[in-house]
Amino acid sequence: MVTAALRRVGSYGLVAIGATLGVGALLLLAKSVENSAQFTRWQAWILLVNFLGVLLLGTLLGRKIWQLVRDFRNHVPGSRLTARTVGIFGTLVIVPLLVVYVFSLEFLNRGIDSWFRVEVKQGLGDALALSRSALELRMREQGRRTEDFARSLANVGGIEVLNAIDNERRRTGALEVVVFGRNGEVLAASAAGPEDSLHARPPTELLLQIRENRPYVSLEPIADKGFLISTAAPIPDNARRNGSARFVLALYDVPQQLAALAEAVQNTYSQYGNLSVMRAPVKNAFRATLTLVLLLTMLTAVYLAIFSAQKLTRPVQDLIEGTRAVGKGDFAKRLPLPSRDEMGFLVHSFNDMTKRLRRASEEATRSRQIVEHERERLAVILARLSTGVLTVDALLSVRIANAAAGSILGLDLSGAVGKSLTEMTGENAQLASFVNEVAARLRVGKEEWREQLQLPPDRVLTCACTPLPADADEIGYVLVFDDITTLLQAQRDAAWGEVARRLAHEIKNPLTPIQLSAERMRRKFHAKMNPEDAEILERSTHTIVQQVEAMKQMVNAFSEYARAPEMKLSAVNLNQLVTEVAELYRAQEAGVDIQVDTDPRVETIEADRSRLRQVLNNLITNGIEALSDTPGGRVEVTTRLEHSAQQTCAVISVADNGHGFQGDMLLRVFEPYVTSKPRGTGLGLAIVKKIAEEHGGRIEVENRPEGGARVRVVLPAVARGLTVQPRREMA
Amino acid sequence: MRLMLRSLLLLLVALAPPPPVRSAPLDGVLEVRSAYINFENGVFALNARIQYPLNDEIRGALLDGVALTFDLEVSITRARRFWWNADVTAVALRRELSYHVVSDRYVVLDVSNGQPQNFSALEDALAYIGTVEAWPVIVEPQLARDRDYEIAVRAGVRRGRMPDPLRSLIFWSDSWHRTSEWYAWSLPR
Repeated sequence: MVTAALRRVGSYGLVAIGATLGVGALLLLAKSVENSAQFTRWQAWILLVNFLGVLLLGTLLGRKIWQLVRDFRNHVPGSRLTARTVGIFGTLVIVPLLVVYVFSLEFLNRGIDSWFRVEVKQGLGDALALSRSALELRMREQGRRTEDFARSLANVGGIEVLNAIDNERRRTGALEVVVFGRNGEVLAASAAGPEDSLHARPPTELLLQIRENRPYVSLEPIADKGFLISTAAPIPDNARRNGSARFVLALYDVPQQLAALAEAVQNTYSQYGNLSVMRAPVKNAFRATLTLVLLLTMLTAVYLAIFSAQKLTRPVQDLIEGTRAVGKGDFAKRLPLPSRDEMGFLVHSFNDMTKRLRRASEEATRSRQIVEHERERLAVILARLSTGVLTVDALLSVRIANAAAGSILGLDLSGAVGKSLTEMTGENAQLASFVNEVAARLRVGKEEWREQLQLPPDRVLTCACTPLPADADEIGYVLVFDDITTLLQAQRDAAWGEVARRLAHEIKNPLTPIQLSAERMRRKFHAKMNPEDAEILERSTHTIVQQVEAMKQMVNAFSEYARAPEMKLSAVNLNQLVTEVAELYRAQEAGVDIQVDTDPRVETIEADRSRLRQVLNNLITNGIEALSDTPGGRVEVTTRLEHSAQQTCAVISVADNGHGFQGDMLLRVFEPYVTSKPRGTGLGLAIVKKIAEEHGGRIEVENRPEGGARVRVVLPAVARGLTVQPRREMA
Repeated sequence: MRLMLRSLLLLLVALAPPPPVRSAPLDGVLEVRSAYINFENGVFALNARIQYPLNDEIRGALLDGVALTFDLEVSITRARRFWWNADVTAVALRRELSYHVVSDRYVVLDVSNGQPQNFSALEDALAYIGTVEAWPVIVEPQLARDRDYEIAVRAGVRRGRMPDPLRSLIFWSDSWHRTSEWYAWSLPR
């Protein structure tokens, strides 16, 4: 982050330095153009500033290009787009620049060349030659005239010379005629104007030529006054052999028109010459300047192209990064808004989308949590339900099963999810029967039903099947079932209780009148009858009274079964009670060995003492009666403390070594009136079962493998807080 | 990497300054042979002898109508101990030499007063240009009493007459432009 900021500051710094250099170069140039002397002084600085500017631009551009190449190689998102945009921008800028450059160069070359056409130079040369020949003609003419005049002065001396030159000046229209001595001293002079002689001192060149005895003609340019033809000739002196002692100098002007024309030709020639030598340097300078400007423009354009492309693709890069982040599940990603244009709108939409996605994701998480919570609650409820709940698919593979289902079906379903019920049946006949019953119904297309299922040997389940809401590709059913064997038993017990109550009521009422009537009949007619009849009466009434008494006992037993008085709960020492009752029977029954085995861990339980005593009486009586025809009969009375998952129980077990229960007797032994004894009422075990249930316990009966039967009464061994819900029935 | 190197090379080629052109046309001695200041009546006057180059190229250019400009630059600075010298004045004596093709004369024009001088020989014209006598460059009131001053003289020659902007445009490709070394000494008081 800090590095990026430093880089940005560095870049801006370089740009600022570049701009300062550029402005500085311009100022220097402007200042130097005002004064060419200063220009030479600033020249080195201007060069340095420009060079630094170009170097700076080059550095910036190099850095940008390096960045581009690096990003391209590293496959940085957006680098290809940037490179393509730079390529397009660069082409769009460079191609027109190059076209303009080439055409400008061509135009420049042709333009400058056209200024210096050969014909122009030739024309100028011709004009010059014409001017010179015209002037030379005049010079020669004047020169010859001066020579003639000099010769005419050969023998003239003194004052005549003055007259002669004055006459000559007037005749020829010369500006000035002067006669000099050999050393250049003025001997005589005649001038047209009042001004002094223009040639007070003849030039060295003239003197040298005169000394060689040659005439002299020259044309002198005079600033803004045209030309002056200067002619000189030695005056022959016959007396001197080695040359002339005097010479004459005559100055003539050039006609104004000729002078003006010649001057114009001269000026044009000079200007042309000055310009023509500048041709190559000017061309080179223009070319170089144009090239430099092109280079600077191109470098700047490419730099700006890269800069713009990067600026343009930055939001796209952000979008790519953002999309990747969203793809990875990071919905918190927010992109910086680049501008208020379409790209800004796109970025804004992206941000909006991620915001919505985040909200949706949070919603989904919350919903999932709620569903999870609900599932947990459902699992808890299912686990606590005593009703079995089983969810299966069409192949009866388990999806959901609660603990009660396993408990009812007699198998462990904790790891059964995904397994088929059919495969789990094994030796479990009840499960096999259950599975068959369910499968048979589903096979015939019966999907929603509620029925009672009879499972071997005596289990009855009420089972409801409902199809689950159809998934797209899977069919499922929920099976809800409950073990109603106990309920049915209770209903049957209740029905028997009702029957017993009614029987007792209906039968007991006429018994007393029958007994009283029989006794009255014996008392009244016994004395009046003969001994034989009296004997018959006596026997008959005795039989009636005896049978009525037996019936009364039977009816009392019935009413005992049906009766449900309030239980009187108290702390009962079970071991002590068992020992007491067993001792009572041990004293009465000599033929049966009654053994007592108590568990010292069995503590005092909360129970109705008299009823427990009845339970023990009934069980021991049953045992003793079962051993009536068994020699060496033995009744074992034991108490034990047993621990199960739910609770701790005190168990009273009474076992004999008789014949045990026969056949299906074992299944119906607790039903009233079911007995294997010739004199039994069949209510003993029914009463025991009822009392056990009133105490919140249960009763179990089985045939011992070594022979005989065993009845187990399982009572909760809770010392306090025993909750017994006795069945209230009308006596 | 290769692309970057190629770009860098291209950039260097593009930025490389053009190769310097040898100034053959103005070959020859160009120097201030002697210079001194005469102080008279409160005026500092410069006397100098300068040798300007003379060769066939110069002669040919003159015959083609090209003018040569001769500048004698004089710079007077006030000496400072811990800083660059301060400019007091900078003057230039400019003379222009051209060939008058119609009259076959070399004309030297003193630009400051517009006075021409005609010479039949180029050597004479150059000798005239290279001689400066009693040229007033500064007056006493311009100078502080207790300060030291330096005077420096430099001669320059260049070709042609052209406007300054054009000259600034071609300065770096013009081989017809030379200046001598500065000839400097302390200003006598």
